[in-house]
This record gives sequence, structure tokens and C-alpha cells, in this order.
Amino acid sequence: MRIVIGQGSCGIAAGAEKVRKALLGADINCEVSVTGCIGMCYLEPIVDIYDDDNKLTRLVKVSENDAEAIASYINSGDKSFIEKLEVSAEDSEFLSKQIRIALRNCGIINPEQIDAYLEADGYTALKKALCDMTPEEVIDVIKTSGLAGRGGAGFPTWFKWNAARQSAGEEKYLICNADEGDPGAFMDRAVIESDPHNLIEGMLIGAYAIGAKHAVVYVRAEYPLAIKRLKNAIAQATEKGIIGNNIFGSDFSCDFTIKAGAGAFVCGEETALIESLEGHRGMPRLKPPFPAQSGFWRKPSNINNVETFANVAWIINNGGEAFAAMGTEGSKGTKVFAVTGKVKRSGLVEIPMGKTLRDVIFDIGGGIKTGKEFKAVQMGGPSGGCIPTDLIDTVIDYKALGATGAIMGSGGMVVMDESTCMVGMAKFFLDFTAKESCGKCIHCRIGTKRMLEILERITNGEGKEGDIELLEELCYSIKDGALCGLGQTAPNPVLTTIKYFRDEYEAHIRDKKCPAGECSALIEYKIIPEKCKGCTLCARNCPVNAISGTVKNPHVIDPNKCIKCGKCFTVCKFGAVVKE
Amino acid sequence: MINLTINGKAITAPEGSTILEAAKANGIDIPTLCYDKAVEIYGACGLCVVEAEGIPKLLRSCSAKVMEGMVVNTESERVVRSRKIAMELLMSAHDGDCVAPCQLNCPAKTDCQGYVGLIANGEYDAAIKLIKNKIPLPASIGRVCPHPCEKACRRKNVEEPINIAQLKAFAADMDLKSESYLPEKQPATGKKVAVIGGGPAGLTAAFYLTIMGHSVTVYDMMDKMGGMLRYGIPQYRLPKEVLDKEISIIEKSGVKLVNNVKLGKDFTIESLKAENDAVIVAVGAWKSSSMRTPGEDLEGVYGGIDFLRAVIQKNPPEIGEKVAICGGGNTAMDACRTAVRLGAKEVYVVYRRTRNEMPADKLEIDEAEEEGVIYKFLTNPLSFNGENGKVKSITLQIMELGEPDASGRRRPVPVEGKTEEIAVDSVILAIGQKLVTEDVSELELNNRGNIVADDDFFTTSIDGVFAIGDATNRGASIAIEAIGEADRCAKAVDAYLNGQALDTRVPYISKRNESTIDYSDRKKESRISPKVLPADVRNKSFDEVSLGFTEEEAKAEASRCLECGCREYFKCKLLNAAQRYDIDPDRFAGEMPQKYTRDENSFIERNTAKCILCGLCVRSCREVMDIHAIGLMGRGFKTEVSPAFALPLDQTKCNNCGLCVQLCPTGALTEKANLVKQVPLDEQYTEETVEINGEKASVMVSRYNGKILRVIPNDKLSETCGLSREELMKLVKE
Amino acid sequence: MEKKTVDLSLLDGVLEEYAPVKGSLITILQHTQDIYGYLPKEAIELISDKTGIATSEIMGVGTFYTQFRFEPVGKYLIMLCQGTACHVNSSELILQTIKDELGIEDGQTTEDGLFSLKCVACLGCCSLSPVMMINEDTYGSLTPDKTKKILKELREAAL
Repeated sequence: MRIVIGQGSCGIAAGAEKVRKALLGADINCEVSVTGCIGMCYLEPIVDIYDDDNKLTRLVKVSENDAEAIASYINSGDKSFIEKLEVSAEDSEFLSKQIRIALRNCGIINPEQIDAYLEADGYTALKKALCDMTPEEVIDVIKTSGLAGRGGAGFPTWFKWNAARQSAGEEKYLICNADEGDPGAFMDRAVIESDPHNLIEGMLIGAYAIGAKHAVVYVRAEYPLAIKRLKNAIAQATEKGIIGNNIFGSDFSCDFTIKAGAGAFVCGEETALIESLEGHRGMPRLKPPFPAQSGFWRKPSNINNVETFANVAWIINNGGEAFAAMGTEGSKGTKVFAVTGKVKRSGLVEIPMGKTLRDVIFDIGGGIKTGKEFKAVQMGGPSGGCIPTDLIDTVIDYKALGATGAIMGSGGMVVMDESTCMVGMAKFFLDFTAKESCGKCIHCRIGTKRMLEILERITNGEGKEGDIELLEELCYSIKDGALCGLGQTAPNPVLTTIKYFRDEYEAHIRDKKCPAGECSALIEYKIIPEKCKGCTLCARNCPVNAISGTVKNPHVIDPNKCIKCGKCFTVCKFGAVVKE
Repeated sequence: MINLTINGKAITAPEGSTILEAAKANGIDIPTLCYDKAVEIYGACGLCVVEAEGIPKLLRSCSAKVMEGMVVNTESERVVRSRKIAMELLMSAHDGDCVAPCQLNCPAKTDCQGYVGLIANGEYDAAIKLIKNKIPLPASIGRVCPHPCEKACRRKNVEEPINIAQLKAFAADMDLKSESYLPEKQPATGKKVAVIGGGPAGLTAAFYLTIMGHSVTVYDMMDKMGGMLRYGIPQYRLPKEVLDKEISIIEKSGVKLVNNVKLGKDFTIESLKAENDAVIVAVGAWKSSSMRTPGEDLEGVYGGIDFLRAVIQKNPPEIGEKVAICGGGNTAMDACRTAVRLGAKEVYVVYRRTRNEMPADKLEIDEAEEEGVIYKFLTNPLSFNGENGKVKSITLQIMELGEPDASGRRRPVPVEGKTEEIAVDSVILAIGQKLVTEDVSELELNNRGNIVADDDFFTTSIDGVFAIGDATNRGASIAIEAIGEADRCAKAVDAYLNGQALDTRVPYISKRNESTIDYSDRKKESRISPKVLPADVRNKSFDEVSLGFTEEEAKAEASRCLECGCREYFKCKLLNAAQRYDIDPDRFAGEMPQKYTRDENSFIERNTAKCILCGLCVRSCREVMDIHAIGLMGRGFKTEVSPAFALPLDQTKCNNCGLCVQLCPTGALTEKANLVKQVPLDEQYTEETVEINGEKASVMVSRYNGKILRVIPNDKLSETCGLSREELMKLVKE
Repeated sequence: MEKKTVDLSLLDGVLEEYAPVKGSLITILQHTQDIYGYLPKEAIELISDKTGIATSEIMGVGTFYTQFRFEPVGKYLIMLCQGTACHVNSSELILQTIKDELGIEDGQTTEDGLFSLKCVACLGCCSLSPVMMINEDTYGSLTPDKTKKILKELREAAL
């Protein structure tokens, strides 16, 4: 028997390391190893027990206190010790309904050991490419596969590779954009933490295809574990000669460096990323020239996202046709989504293109966890938009999603229920973009700030007639005038919420009401006397002593003192506190 | 060469050139604020966007290259919309005053900050030139103007406003002492203009139209020109000798002056119209208003301006020992102080509100009191009581202040049943004045009994006849108001005479939000006023009360100016771009990104509140000069140009090369001119040659009134020689 | 918090390794911050000397990225995630709890020098939202009570 503990960042955050230590300390005689993130983040910490026939028993929501029970099971083989920890049949469907290519090894192999990757056919695609294929043939296979950029824009990968290959010059760079800044998306982190060699392999194939001798990964500083595992993987691959000179005995040589970002969302924009790599402020450059002509150190450069590279080795091994067999006319292969928010089962979902949003959110994600109604799903983060209930059957396809006003984006899917205020949501994203604006161009620097100010006044109950139109005017102008993708897409969250939830905006402006009950300036807390049991819990929790009343008698909130923190609402066990 | 079309014009441009370059070479102006050929293309401002057929996105023309067969539109609807919003956003975050509030509040838009600054520098000639751009009678106006400029002066928030009006009088007096300044006249146009009325409005219109080359005659009913300045203002405030001198300068400019002719008697508007190309009616308001109080027709009750005119004409009426003046304005002050000087023993001013609400100038109120005037505040005449047809007493209703009225002043309301009676020998009603409507019966009048004149074009019901001043629209006002109208009217008449369209749009300017201005760093320095005759001397004579500024006093007072208006006003590229499109930045009003701060060294002044982050300064300092004195700090909305660690500029490696200032499109970076007090001036530059290390180098030299204000490099050698601007200036011959 | 005298010799190794490598400014600053906990002015001046990059450029870079600090931080740096999933799952309540418990605002440090609070961009642990990181450790599925407990434990551990 062997025990494998899921140790991605979320697993560790949920207590996986404590579980591992407890198991190491327990009286058992079997191997305890780690793996990355399986993607069932809502069930972390997850402990997989393989018996000698490699049959898997998956335990979920394990705590360090369960170590003894697990030890007892392992020592006795008596399943009753762990019955209550075993993953339910329903939860197992979360994985069984997925098709995994980019995430194929995630949560299965040990990310800290190259041998684990090699055992899983690792680096065979690289060897095949270097020994049996010309760079042009590699590009051809990628072209056949229909692989498109998974970072957001969805640009055909082969086209970029080809442009960089065609670009004159000896010195070229292959860059991986692992600056996953989109709030609500974390598949890139999962891939690097769980399967770093897959990324390295994909990048080396890409470097070979474009003729680059230097590969660079730009990783967010917020991902320390990813950086650690990737560094480790690079060291191991270098030691095995997979990175370095004359890889697999071919003429191809490539070095590999990691650069950590320092906290700037705009560095996800490729020219800003290059500026940052060069040690400058991450302010986008004017395009043209495009990086394929003049990029890192003004040399031809190609930049792809982590998930894009994570598909490459599979495609080389299985052929472009196999990848293209999945998906729709315009969108091929699979896509990873980070499903979060008010959804029952949150985590990483990889499915073929062509499925619907409903498939992901309801079939796999299990629908809304709160028992409330589904309201919208936010896709594409600050550059994307909110898609309402009516459009839940939209097919996952670059074009179809674009038609809603949202975008495929990097795959963040934040699910919202009735209690989420859509104006507040737009404000949240504008606050984000305004903070992350590099400040170079007028439209983004001042425009996003002014949009935020207008949204702030609307949610504060100070909205004016004409504010919606003013926002729309600003939106279209910023889309047209901003210098880079960050600014050009910043209005999307506002535009889509106005498009689908205009009545909510109007309620804020005209009636000074927040229908979702989220904007504190527009709500009032009250106690329904009939429901109040006089337990005094609310009064004791009120930070400003705004609640008065005696034991066993209905309490009252003084609206003049109330700071609308909502604590009474949260603590009341009888539903006597209501928001209006 | 590449063939392309820009705005429908087929042009060719060298391969590899940008659309911006190609357009410029063909005389098509595309606005940009962050592009300069000296530094690398940056693309921040987004103003240079253009639309090209077949390309869905707008192109930044500073970087987009010309392509064969390209069809470009630089002013399409979409382009203009994009630029307009860009400018609105930019200006919503640009915290600066293009023009000082004093100038904006002056009805004639006189460049107060300009002349005050020039006086501080001792440049009196230059000061009077600036003043005479707007006021042809500055010595007179400086003495009598209720100075709205001073009400707007921000120095009041430190202690007291600048004594702007008296400084104007000072500069004008200096000018009158020597050969007085006359602006250069335009060539004769052969057009004839008649002006009816020789008051401030008529004389001003006549003067400026004459300067424009037209032949102008002023017709006036009185013995002498000057209108209310002569016949409504007492000698002790405005000595008529001063007025005479100023009118003689106007006459010297070529204006023909005809006195003792009266409209309706000697000529009609139509008759003048027949002989002239245009007629301006500036007849003023010469009838005292009635109070509609019983007893107004009693003997001994006089109209304010009638009384003042009679005194000035050396024919004073009998006023006795006890005189009551009704009213609280400047005419009331003139009347009461004149009554004192005529020897009245008890002079009352009856006013229904309190001292604080009095519209008269505060100085006048105080000086009158010093001279013995007794104020009867919160009283209102109920009736003038007579005996044998002659006034003997006034019954006064006692008032109190109630709620504020539309003007914001608290409304006086009668205290029921409370009255007071004062014995008087005469009463002077100084509550306003009206147009004598019979004189202008040819023109359409409004319901107030004033001539209807267009606010912008000053046209009346008769084509070719214009009307200005007290006789029009809202009625009598202050002289500077009439002068402002006259100046604008002169332009309107000139356009009419030339058959041109007149652009009456008020161009956009940036104004600071008054409530956000911090004065805590300003040192308090008391306002200086000219010395005056002692009260017990002046109340017995009609000698001028004010003794005028000495040179020393004038310079010291002028030096107190806070310099609110931007020095870059006359060459601001940002303002130019803002005025190019009809913008309304107020709709995006919000937080300002930077605080108003000033960092300066011997030559450069930085104010980040005006910075638009075009980056030209940072880039030129880095790319051209390799000095790196300043950099971009922070990011997003709060990005700021600053030396490292927010050090002051003089602790950096800055060598005062001045390139950053030269490239700054607005007033965020300014350079000090060769002046003690800095002044916004419309400088003119001439190209001159200097010798640097034995080689000839080109520089641009700004001379103002003969003085070298600054020298700016104009070629590679002068730019990169490493000389500071001060050193460069020394190379230029005076 | 009082700034200690800055021992610049600690930077020798970093500068030796990275100063000659072009484009390494951010890396050098990251190492500098690892050493001192922030970017001391003296260190920036030394970096400028050794790399030839002007201090105005270094400060420009340092102030652009949210990772860099110019003041020392507390023993525990609380980084509260501001991501979308956290927002949807009421991270605002957690922020309020931390502010109430510690009496500090975003960007401030407690008087005892124990805690600093910083709101940060998405930490990528969205399934456990709301999430915070304290130094290297991530804490997920936070509630106000859980947050209070964590802070209490850390405070006790420090004493």
C-alpha cells in the first residue's frame, strides 16, 4: 500500500501538510508521498490510498485527527475505519465527467520527482520532436491540432510560432507567461505545482519549433510553491540533460530561466511582461512591432501561456488530429476552467470545447451551494463579463462566449447567486483594473478611475440619472482608445452587467435600493419582533451597541447607530434579522 | 515612396515613415501630447489616433507606419469622439488654473496678474501696454472701479486681496507722466463708425475700432467727454484732470470727438446710420430712479446723479445742514461725501440693511464715516414729510434682517409698528439710475425700459446699429462692465464691417476647485494701500483723497501676488488640444491624482498637480541627456514624475539643461524667466546665433519690452553643449 | 517601527551574482527585500552604484510593483486575498475582522510590530475562498471567528 497526499497550494492551505506530518508520525508501514492538485479543491485535504493492486481509495476532507483511523485501516484493511472519509459517488463524478489533457498528470504523479514524470511517458514527445521531426513539422502538427492560446486571446498557437520561426535573427526567445493574475483563475498554478515537467517539455518543443535557444518562465511572485517546484524540476531536467546542450543527442540546445514577477497584473500583457523581464516598469509597449519581430531584448520572441504549453507534449504524442477531434468548429481540444464562487463543487474542470456552461456549473460543479438561485457566471475575470441565467446553455467556444460580451479568458468561472450585487461586481472589477492600470495611457489611467468613481457613487446611493449612459460612453471610448489589452477590455464587466442587469443599476440609481441586498449604503437591518426570541446574541455581537432589548423580549436596532456591518444578520439563529 | 490618402488628399510619404510624419509633411495637423522626435515613440496620450479604412482599430499615428494605398481619416467622427473623451479625462485630472481668477472675474477680462507682475518687476511700460489692451482709461478706472478682480483675488484667503485697482492707477499715472503709450494702428479701412455717447463704453468702443483702422466719431450731449466718469463721479475720487488726459490720448489715437450734440434733437440714429457704416449706441442711464415713496416730489429731494452732476458743473443745489442720502451703493457714498464737502453738518445715510450688506466699496464706507457721515442702518423711508412744499423730515421704518433672498443677502423686513423720524433739510435719492427712453425711441426696448441688445453681438432691432453699456438689457452697472462690453462690441462691429463671422464661443480653460486650495504655506504680508489725505482735511475739500502709490509701495504690493494663473498659458499644448474640441471635463470630475506642490531649483519649477504623464520629461532626461534626474514613480492613477526618494530637484543630477521644460506640453514644468517676479506673458521668440566653443549655434531668444526673458536651444549643438540655460543666456547680446 | 541600521554587506552576494546580468533589477530587489524585509534607501543607492542603474529608475521599478515595500513590516505579514471568488464569498467581512482585531488599516503595521496587513491580488486558492496568506502559510475558508482564532494563536506564539 502507499499513501499519496494532494499538496497543491490549496491542499496545503486546507491542512494537507498537517495531515502528512500526522501520517508520518503514525504507526504505519507504508510509503507516504505527495502529489499535486487533483482539482477537487472543495474536498481538500485529499488522501489517496493505493493498495498493492494499485486500486485507489480516495479520502477527502481529511484532518490530522484522522491519521489514526487511516493507520488503523492500513494496518487492518478494515474499511469501516475510513468509511466516513471516503469520497462519495456523487463527488467522484466531478472527475469522471472530465477529459484531462493539460491536467493529465495533476494530482496523480509526484511533481517533485522527474522519474514520476518519466514513468508517465514524460519527455517522449520532446524526444520524438527533436529526433524525428523538423521544426516545421512540429508547427504543422500544432496547426492541425487547432490549439489556440489559452491565456485569454485565443490566438492560434501555430501562427505565433511560425511568425517567430520566420523572423530573422539567430537569437530568439521562448517565453512562458505564468503571470496568472486573473482573479478567479488558478489552473496555471496547478499545472506548475502539480506537473512542472509537462510545462518544461511543452516549452522545449516550442523553443525547438521557433528556433529559440533560451526559454524563460515569468511566474507570479504570489506563487512561491510553483516557483519552488519549477526550479526543482529545471534542476532535475538539467541534470538529466533534458535541458542544456544537444538535448537527446540532437543539435538542439536550450537553457531555461525563471523570473519571478513582482505583483502587477498588467504584466500578463505580453509587451509589459517583456518590459518586466528586462527589469523595467511593466508598462506595455506600442504594437507594432510585435514580439515575434522585436520582443525580449528586442529579439524575436514568442510568448504562450502555461496551459497552452501543457497541451503540447500530448499533441505531439497523440497527433494533431486527436486533439482537433474534440471541440467545435472554431475551438479545438479541451479547456481547463477554475470553477469557484457560490458553486457546490469548486475546483479545476477540464472538458472538451463544445460543452455548455450548464454542463460545467451544474453537471460537474453541482449547481449553487447555498440553495439560492443561480444568477450569473463571471468569465474571463477583469477582461471578461457576466453571463446571466438565460444564456446558461451557451456553448464553450471562443466565438460563442465572445458573442455574450464575456470572453473565454484564461478560464476563470466565478459563479454567483441572487445575493451577489451585479453593480457591486462591476465595481469590484473596476477597482481591480484601476489599481492594476500601469498608468501609461489616459483612457485606462483616468478612465477606469472615473468609471470606478461613478460605480462607487451608484452603490453608495448617490447615483444620478444619466450615470448609466455616462458609463457606457466611457466604456466604448476606453475600449477604443486604451493602449493595451488590459485597458481595452477593462469595460467588459461593466458593459455586460449593464447589458444583462440594467434594472439593478436603475434600482440603485432611482430607488436607492440594492436588490441583492449587498450594498451596505442601501440596506437597512431590522429585527422582526415576532421571530426574535430575545436571546441577546445579536446585541452582544454588535460592535457599536446599536441593538437594545432585554432577555426573552424582542430586540430593536437603532438605525442611527447601525454601521451595517451585518454581524447581527450573520449570528441570528432564528432568521429574525432581515436586510431591507 | 508610399502613396496614400489622408482626409481625401492623395499624398506620398517615404517608406517607413509614420502617419503622423506623413500628415505633418502635408500640412495636416494631428494633435499629440506625448510625441516628440527627440525621444522614442511612447503612445501614451492617444490623441494622435486616426482611422484607416479596413482596419477595425483606431491607429496611433505616432507609431503606425504608412502603407501603400492606405486611406486615412484624421478627423472622423470616431476619432474626434475618442480625442474628446481623452481630453475630458485628462483635464478632469489636471489641477491647474490657466488664467488667474482676478482676470476671469474682471468684466473686461483685463490681465490683472500680468500687469501686477510686471509692476512688481518695475516694468511699468509693459504693464500699461497689457492694461491698454482692455482698458483705454486705466488711470480713471483704476481710481473708481469697484474692482471685481479683488473680490476674486485668492490672496484674500491668506490675509487680504492685492490692491489691483490702485496698482492699475499707479501704472497708468506713470504712463501719463511721460509720453503716453498708444497702440499701433492698423491700416485705414475706409469704414466709418458713429458712436453715440462719450462715456466709458462709447470711448472704449471708439478707441479700439480706431486702432483697428476704422474712422470713428463720438457724439455726446454734454460739454465734455467722459459721461458718468465725468458727471457722476466726484472730483475727490477722480480728478477731472486725469480724465482729461486720458481722453486726450484717445483723441490722439484718431477718434473724432463731437460735444454738445444730442440724440433726438441734433440727429437721429437713422440719420447717423445713413452717413456711417455702423452706429454704436452708448447713451448711458442718466435719470435717477424713483423710490415710489410719498413726498419724493417735495422741494429739497434730489436724484443722486442729478445732485452729483450739478456739483461737478459748479452749480450745487441748496442742501442745508441736515442731509439724508437714501441708498447703500457707491453713488450714495459719492453723494454723502460730496454733501459733507459742501458743508452739511449732519449727513445721514439711510440704508435698509446693515453695513455688511452694503454694495458700496468697503473703503468708501469707512472713509465716509471718518469724514463724519452717520449711518442709519436697518431703516427705510416710509415718507418724506414737507412743509410748504419743502422737505422737513423723513419717517423711517425700522427694519430687521430675515431669511436670505435670491441674492444670498438676508432680506430686510419691517419691524411692525416701529418707526423713527429725523429732521432733514434735503434728501438725496441714490438708489439707481435709468435710461431716458425717449432718446432711443427708434430702438426696441425690453420690459425694464432698456435697449434690447444681443449679448454676444450687441446688435439691436436696426441692422448696423449696436448698443452697449448702461442703456442696454439689464440696465446700469459699473464702468468696467461697460468697458468690457465695448471691447467685445468693437470686435463684433469690426467683424460686421469686414463681413466676417465672429466666434463668440468662450474657449475652455482649466480652473482649480477653490475649496481644495491650501494656503497654509503662504507667509502673511499685509495689503498696502496708497496713503490718503487726513479725514479732517479732505472733508473740507474736493482734492483727491488718495495720494496714489509710490513706486516702492506699488512694487511691494504687486509682489504679494500669488501668481495663480499658469505661466505656460500662452504656449500650453494641452490647453490648445483642449480647446480644439468642445469638451466638458466636469462630467468626469473626481479625485485629483496629485496634490498641488511646488519643487524648484534656480531655474526649473515642478508642479505635479498639472502633470499629464506624457513622460516627455522623464524620457528626454533619460534618452537624450542620460541624466535620469527624474523618473516615473508609482503606477496607475497615482503615477507621478519625481526624483528618486521624492528629493527636491536641486538634490539630483539635474544640470538645468531645460529640455524637460521645453518638451513639457503644459505647466507641470516651467522655467523661470529673467524676472524677479514670474509673470505669464505672451512671449515672442526670435532665432539668433550664438558662439559656443568657437562654433555657431542657433538659439531662440524671448525678448519682452526689450528685456531678454529666456534663451532656448534650437539646434543639436546648443541642446547638447552641456551649458545651463543661465549660461546660455549670457552668450546672447542684449 | 524603528528602522535598524542597514548592514549593506548582506547584499554582497546578491550584487556579485546579479549586478553583471542585464535585466536583473527586479530579481536584485526581490533578494534585497528578502534580506531586509523591505527596500532600504541605502540599499537602493548601493544597487545603483553597482549596477549603474539610476536611483530614479530603481525607485520607478520599486514603486510600480506591489511586492516591494519601503518600510519595514511586522513579524507576520497578512496578505488578504482580494480575488473574485473571495469577494463573492465575503472577504470584506474578513478584512473588517482583521482591521477590528488589530486596529490597523490596509498597508499598516500594528504598534507592537507584530502584524502588517496588506490586501493583495488573487492568491489562486479560489476554491478555499476567502483566503489569506500569513508569511508563507495559506489559510482558507475563513470566517470571522476562524480569523480571530488564527490571529490569537500567532500572537501567543510570538510571546
